[in-house]
Amino acid sequence: MIQFDFSTIAFFVFAVLTLGGALGVVTNRNLFRGTIWLMVSLFGVAGLYVLLSAPFLAAVQVLVYIGAIAILFTFAVMLTRSLTRLNVRYTRLWPSALGAVLLFAMLVIGVIWPVFGGNELYNQPISDVVRTTTDLGVALVSGEGYVLPFEVASILLTGAMIGAIVIARDADEEEMEQ
Amino acid sequence: MPEFDFLASLPAISVEIGLTILAIVLVFLESYLHKDNRRNIAYVAAVSLAFLAVAPVIWAPTPETTGLYWGGMIRYDAFGGIFKMMILLAASLVTLMSIDDKGVHRKTEFHIVIVVATLGASLLVSAADLIMLFVALETLSVPMYILAAYNRTDRESAESGIKYFLFGSFASALLLYGFSLLYGFTGTTNLQGIAVALTQGGDLVAVLVAMVLVIAGFGFKISAVPFHFWTPDVYHGAPTPVTGFLSVASKAASFAILVRFLLGVFPDAVVIEGQTVQQFWVAFVAVASVASMTFGNIMALRQSNIKRLLAYSSIAQAGYALIGVAALQGGATLNEGVNLGIELGISAVAFYMFMYTFSNLAIFAGIIVVTKHVGSEEIRDYAGLQRRNPWLALALAIGILSLAGIPPAAGFFGKFFLFQAAVESSLAALAIIGVLNSIIALYYYLVVIKVMYVDQGPDDDKPFALSTPYAWALGLSSIVVLLLGTIAVTPIIDWAREGANALAQAVSVMVAGM
Amino acid sequence: MVPLSWYLIVSAALFSIGVFGVLSRRNGVAVLMGIELMLNAVNINLVAFWRYNTTIASVTEPVPSELSGMVFAAFMFVVAAAEVAVGLAIIITVYRNWRSVIPEETDTLRG
Repeated sequence: MIQFDFSTIAFFVFAVLTLGGALGVVTNRNLFRGTIWLMVSLFGVAGLYVLLSAPFLAAVQVLVYIGAIAILFTFAVMLTRSLTRLNVRYTRLWPSALGAVLLFAMLVIGVIWPVFGGNELYNQPISDVVRTTTDLGVALVSGEGYVLPFEVASILLTGAMIGAIVIARDADEEEMEQ
Repeated sequence: MPEFDFLASLPAISVEIGLTILAIVLVFLESYLHKDNRRNIAYVAAVSLAFLAVAPVIWAPTPETTGLYWGGMIRYDAFGGIFKMMILLAASLVTLMSIDDKGVHRKTEFHIVIVVATLGASLLVSAADLIMLFVALETLSVPMYILAAYNRTDRESAESGIKYFLFGSFASALLLYGFSLLYGFTGTTNLQGIAVALTQGGDLVAVLVAMVLVIAGFGFKISAVPFHFWTPDVYHGAPTPVTGFLSVASKAASFAILVRFLLGVFPDAVVIEGQTVQQFWVAFVAVASVASMTFGNIMALRQSNIKRLLAYSSIAQAGYALIGVAALQGGATLNEGVNLGIELGISAVAFYMFMYTFSNLAIFAGIIVVTKHVGSEEIRDYAGLQRRNPWLALALAIGILSLAGIPPAAGFFGKFFLFQAAVESSLAALAIIGVLNSIIALYYYLVVIKVMYVDQGPDDDKPFALSTPYAWALGLSSIVVLLLGTIAVTPIIDWAREGANALAQAVSVMVAGM
Repeated sequence: MVPLSWYLIVSAALFSIGVFGVLSRRNGVAVLMGIELMLNAVNINLVAFWRYNTTIASVTEPVPSELSGMVFAAFMFVVAAAEVAVGLAIIITVYRNWRSVIPEETDTLRG
């Protein structure tokens, strides 16, 4: 039986924030409001990370997702639509909704419940052993760890930055001459 | 866990180190060279990439050094080597081709982004861990999204960029959800570790859901039906050198990792609830293969734009190569402890992608030249090309004959090895459908050749010359296509067999250890 | 403590909502938001699986591979950031060319 202790209540609060925010994102016809709901949803996810003993990821979630990505979305909405024309239309509304509900049912009935639902092993974390942020840092840069993807990710970010700047900005003088 | 040996780990990423240095050098050249000399940057990039293509041969793995490196992130083996070589050569040719293409502005940045994409592709073919696989896949995809939208004054390029980006990131998200489920079922991200954990039991439906999500993600990258719908628009709208890179390097790398993933995670030893998981993915791949071949060829019949024709042709070609992937189910014959069907299947896919890379690039280089001089991508405007520049028409014809599978071009052997693998793995029906499809495809390929050689064009008496980079790109790729179809068949297929053997051995060792 | 399956159900719901957002919207920015929701669902999955993973308890000395779920999630952040930056750059290019960010309205490529 599940005890309604503090972490259970916190779980429900963050789950409601996450899913409520997500519904706000996809049902709001006003895109600007959609980005605000996106922040709510992302904040809920950060809370779930805290409950899952991953405080570092929670902090990154707030900094990167809410602080950078959601703000970028806000910029994109403002730059591509004047404030009076923020509303967007839907297409295939009901087929999409039906598809999403079926997908959810399939994931819960086909995957989550049979594999993890009835299994005693997964009722709570086996131990309180939690790796620290230091361990994560060491794993990211050690040779028998994840140094290779770590370095490649930094090259990816550099390449993405160069490319994004080149395609997003206006033609410069040098190109005008050509 | 063995002690980490830095020096011993370096050969496994020799190509990637080279590409990183090249990208940094390009940044410096762009800042310091006077703008009149910047055209030379393209030559620096193309020649360096071509030289790097030798690295997989110089630092080729021996049976002792083959294995997992960098904490199990990558597998260093001959199978990866052959794919790295074709990806690097493709990148080199694409760099050459972009020199005079109007769709590509800010050329140095273009080359840097191409180098980053090449780095991603080259790591992708040797990835042995879900994390590495995912990071490498995105390092390939994100630059490709940029490149598709690279011509910022062109509406079609922008449209192609947004379509590719939105479909591509949606496919990535599906793939990642599948990955997260696999990690959840097994507690590891290592491809072999997942297979080992799956043999200890699991839930069949759940594993199949994860598998379908992952295959959908890869299916998008190789543009197999039913995940193909982005292909014609993106191929049509993107700048032509980018379309070339997309159709060969991105596709070859995705095929390599598809083979590695399916063989490594779901070999026939993975039995859940009394069913082998393998039979499901083989069925899935076989259906996708038939659908891609048939759909691609039938749609290609009614195209009038050459880039759209090649887009549908590339869907069909993905279908042919999927025959080789389906053949990974293996047959009855064992060859030195390795299932002959698996070995033939892997080597056929590798050879096919090798020849496809050069055939397609010969055609795309030709398209760029024709677009520049004729100003059109419509097939009817290719009329009389033979009289305007016979060498250009010849190179185009060689590429097209190779795609059609007519000897002496390489495509004939490519298809032959695929059908042979299918027969060996008791999938003869698939081979027959493949042959029938090749006959349909002959029609639209030969129409292009007929237009170039027979039809009268309005400007037949106005010849034009090839500029140096295009002469090199067209000459090299069409010569390679001819060599691959004649004297170079044996060395390349032997190399592919060596790679196939290394991969199949690794799988059978892992299966024996279960 | 909450059982693992609850986290997974939240994640599956978030994923399905994201899929709905992608399929039902025509605006490029809105579609991209749906994709971000899907990626967040993947991340919840990864972190939850990592936390409830049965192998962690048995290891006393930390080894990199037992952190794979967390590391995977960390890489998801990096890649999502790159993807969004590139995506919004593309959306702005499209907007400059078309004054619209709806893929179907920018429809000249057919056949």
